[in-house]
Amino acid sequence: MTAFLPVALLLTALIPAAIIFFLADDRERLRAFINIAGAVIKLGLVGYMLFSVMDGAVYETRFPLVPGLDLWLRADALALLFITLSAFLWLLTTIYAIAYFEGGANLSRFFGFFSLCVAATVGIALSGTAITFFVFYELLTLATWPLVVHKGDEASLAAGRSYLAYTLAGSAVFLSGIVLLTAATGPIVFIEPPEMALVEPWLARTAFVLMVAGLAVKAAMVPLHGWLPIAMAAPAPVSALLHAVAVVKAGAFGIVRVIYDVYGTDLVQDLGLGLPLAVMASVTILYGSYQALRQTGIKRRLAYSTVSQISYIILGASLAGPFATIGGLVHIVHQGIMKITLFFCAGLLDEKLKITRVDQLDGVGRRMPLTMLAFSIGALGMIGVPPTAGFVSKWYLGLGGLQAGQPWVLLVLVGSSLLNAGYFLPLLYRAWFKPLPEGVDESDVDTSSTIERPWGFVGPPLVTALLALVVGLLAASPFSPLGWATLIAERTYLP
Amino acid sequence: MPLIDQALLALTLLVPLGIAALPIIRAWRDRALALLPLAPLPGLLAVFVVSDGATLVLPDLLLGGRFEISGTAPLFLLLATLLWSLAGLYARSAVAENERRGGFTAFWCVTLTGNLGVFLAADVVSFYVLFAMVSLGAYPLVVHYRTAEAIAAGRVYIGLAILGEVAIFAGLLFATVGLGSLLITDVRAALPLSPHQPYALALLIVGLGIKAGLVPLHVWLPLAHPVAPTPASAVLSGVIVKAGIFGLMQFLPLGFAVPFWAELLMVLGIVTAYYGVLVGLTQRKPKTILAYSTLSQMGLVVALLGSAVAAGADVVAAEVVLAAAAFYALHHGFAKGALFLSVGVAEKAGREVLPWVMAVATLMALAIAGLPFTGGALAKLAMKEAMPAGAALTFVTFSAIGTTLLLGRFVLQLAQTGKASDTARPDLGSLAPWLAVAALALVVPWLLFEPTIGITAETALASDKLWDGIWPVLVAGGIAILAAAEPGSDLAAPARRIVRAVMQALQRLPRPRLPEPTLLYALADGSGRAAERLETGLVRWSIAGTVLLALALGILVALLL
Repeated sequence: MTAFLPVALLLTALIPAAIIFFLADDRERLRAFINIAGAVIKLGLVGYMLFSVMDGAVYETRFPLVPGLDLWLRADALALLFITLSAFLWLLTTIYAIAYFEGGANLSRFFGFFSLCVAATVGIALSGTAITFFVFYELLTLATWPLVVHKGDEASLAAGRSYLAYTLAGSAVFLSGIVLLTAATGPIVFIEPPEMALVEPWLARTAFVLMVAGLAVKAAMVPLHGWLPIAMAAPAPVSALLHAVAVVKAGAFGIVRVIYDVYGTDLVQDLGLGLPLAVMASVTILYGSYQALRQTGIKRRLAYSTVSQISYIILGASLAGPFATIGGLVHIVHQGIMKITLFFCAGLLDEKLKITRVDQLDGVGRRMPLTMLAFSIGALGMIGVPPTAGFVSKWYLGLGGLQAGQPWVLLVLVGSSLLNAGYFLPLLYRAWFKPLPEGVDESDVDTSSTIERPWGFVGPPLVTALLALVVGLLAASPFSPLGWATLIAERTYLP
Repeated sequence: MPLIDQALLALTLLVPLGIAALPIIRAWRDRALALLPLAPLPGLLAVFVVSDGATLVLPDLLLGGRFEISGTAPLFLLLATLLWSLAGLYARSAVAENERRGGFTAFWCVTLTGNLGVFLAADVVSFYVLFAMVSLGAYPLVVHYRTAEAIAAGRVYIGLAILGEVAIFAGLLFATVGLGSLLITDVRAALPLSPHQPYALALLIVGLGIKAGLVPLHVWLPLAHPVAPTPASAVLSGVIVKAGIFGLMQFLPLGFAVPFWAELLMVLGIVTAYYGVLVGLTQRKPKTILAYSTLSQMGLVVALLGSAVAAGADVVAAEVVLAAAAFYALHHGFAKGALFLSVGVAEKAGREVLPWVMAVATLMALAIAGLPFTGGALAKLAMKEAMPAGAALTFVTFSAIGTTLLLGRFVLQLAQTGKASDTARPDLGSLAPWLAVAALALVVPWLLFEPTIGITAETALASDKLWDGIWPVLVAGGIAILAAAEPGSDLAAPARRIVRAVMQALQRLPRPRLPEPTLLYALADGSGRAAERLETGLVRWSIAGTVLLALALGILVALLL
């Protein structure tokens, strides 16, 4: 049983992928059923595993990939943090995507790669060794590309090109780091961190820089973030998944693994690597927010916001100390819930009212109240307004910064909050407080009951928005993301 | 009965929060509006029923929620529940016809929840959350009419509200790091000895001072309070500013000598008190004059808080001062609420009724100035008894002259707001809550003086105390008569010239301009080209990719060599 569950988790996404690829495009119902069935089964498995991992269980599977190279799957608390997020958001995104496409072309291809992408994400979370991680990391790169170029127009193809160029270059660098360290210490197994004491400090530093730099491409750290705003050309469900769980999170998760399970926080600090990484993350946080402020397109503004928010996770990991760790880890979940809400809503605005620019938002709150309600909660969360999830992340990161003796972190957090307010509040102001634009008369208002349908389209952002509130309101509960992140931090710092 | 206590504490917040959600359903909008006066009632009941020391602990809420009614909280809660309830009654007739009444109702209740919650929160995170609800929830009330003036005021309001939020956030982090407890009492006790004390206190004073209208953080207040609908103005000036005062009372260190902070608060408070009067005298709109008066009065309270901190190791003395501050705030809340409502009532009054409206307004104005036999005389007495003799006390005493002048100007301006028709009468829905608030301002201080301050209310009737209350009013009256006297009479002419000159000089003072977020605009537009170039450069994947690959290959080559 314990050996089977990690594999089962992978299969819940792989099997639907394998079936869907061979379905005719018009078998919509069957495709939807398989997708949703897979997602629900996975959610069930994850729920079961959460309880037993909380009690101390660890699920582990290994089988040889090629001789001498084992594929090693292992579900620990950190893996489950990421898997729970992806399982839940995958289900919602699938429901949303089915409503979004409403029978367009090439949907079996799309949903096939969609499932493959999720399988890769699960694999990344479950990876027990650096090489296993790399295999799934590459699978993710390749499975995401067809989703990015799905529309097939010039912008999508250009986005696809730059996506591949960036991520493949990043992977090459990441792999060179793994190889370098493996050559010095033998295979890198996360559960048994390599004997770093035997490694020359300069070599350890070099390998760290290579691995983190490679991962930082997907995590969209400045100056390696350029692909992310361009990838906005993808359909809304892809953007949502890309920004919340799949690609950027995989990069950030990888950096978290390298810091906690390869080097260990103490060594990272001893080698003098923590502070530079924290500074890089802070630069990214402020630069991303600043660029977001300048954007006029809604999706582009959200994309730069992601650049900024993902680095909160890296900031938390690079500052040593339990509070920073908790803040960084919990933001993996919190950022996912909030950002996916925003992208769901951006997709709705685009599909229903053809609104893509900030200056088109005037009075939208009256035309699509449910959508804008969800959007507002997500945006307030990003600013860090209590009691949303974003506030909890910032509270712990701020405490972590002070605890680590780096009070400047507070300036970064406060500066980012102000910038976030600067680029989100005008949106909310336009939507709720500005009159309707000319050409839209009062009879177009109160059409919420016809525009904001079907529920498969509007429901997911409402659920995630509610969740963004609930995980903040009940943060102290042991079942909240914060409770789980605290559990991980306790296991890291009190072995 | 601890269970009843806990249920009441919870209902105090849950009932208004529930009513806030009602207008989401279109059919319930009017019903929700009708419920506004009832929303604060569980809180009012809690003031009388919940025993001191009863706590509601919700370990899963936020980072561990804890609520109680302790210290000076009952006074604030009493003021808040009564004023919110009566203002809610007034709001029923004031916004009943407005198309935006749904949003008004919802955010009225959100702000109310936050306002009551601030007085109940016993842990810093709950406090912060509820404080944010007051601050941000009041924005839709400020911009309710959507006039250009309201929008402009709203922009300043939200800018400073957000600034205040982040300041409090950072201040609380500094105050709690390494403490292991989030309870306000623990945080406050640890603060004087904390290595982060200066940062924590400075940030908290900035964040809470914005709400309390402390100069120079006050700029939003005279803009935002007047543009809101009248009942919202009444609660903004009556109780919402007190959230800032209460916050300061919760976090200022007591029992330790922290001289710099005590003096800073006294100076800031007195500067605010006089600045409010001076600038307020140059204003024409009745509600704006009232807003400046609020500024000035809160300045006095902050000066009083400064003397509480100055009490140093003498905790008992400090607590007496805090009680006096709470008592002063209580009276000011009712009286200022009544004054704001009187503006709305006067607008509906014809020539026949207006004198009566002005009579009540004059009484409230003189109460704030401390006229004997009013509740205000007791408030002033409490303040003067609590403050040690010294420069600060002298300033506070003389401020009553300014208060009388300022509110006198208010009453004169109010006289010009009546309706053209002679016989117009305000509706009962406005009249009743207004008179009720005025009555509370007169009566409640008499009931609470002895239990709060510890001396009998008859003290205020001693001849020297009566004289203390009367002379500032007389002096102010003299100045006003001289200023208004016919030119030509021998003493009046030069005096009039002096007063005119002073008034003109005041008029020429730089007006509080509407600060534009210029820095933000500059960042967004001005430096745009450079930022654009930087970003395009970075986004060209070839650059980033090449840099990365070159880095990797360089390192590998270096290793192989």
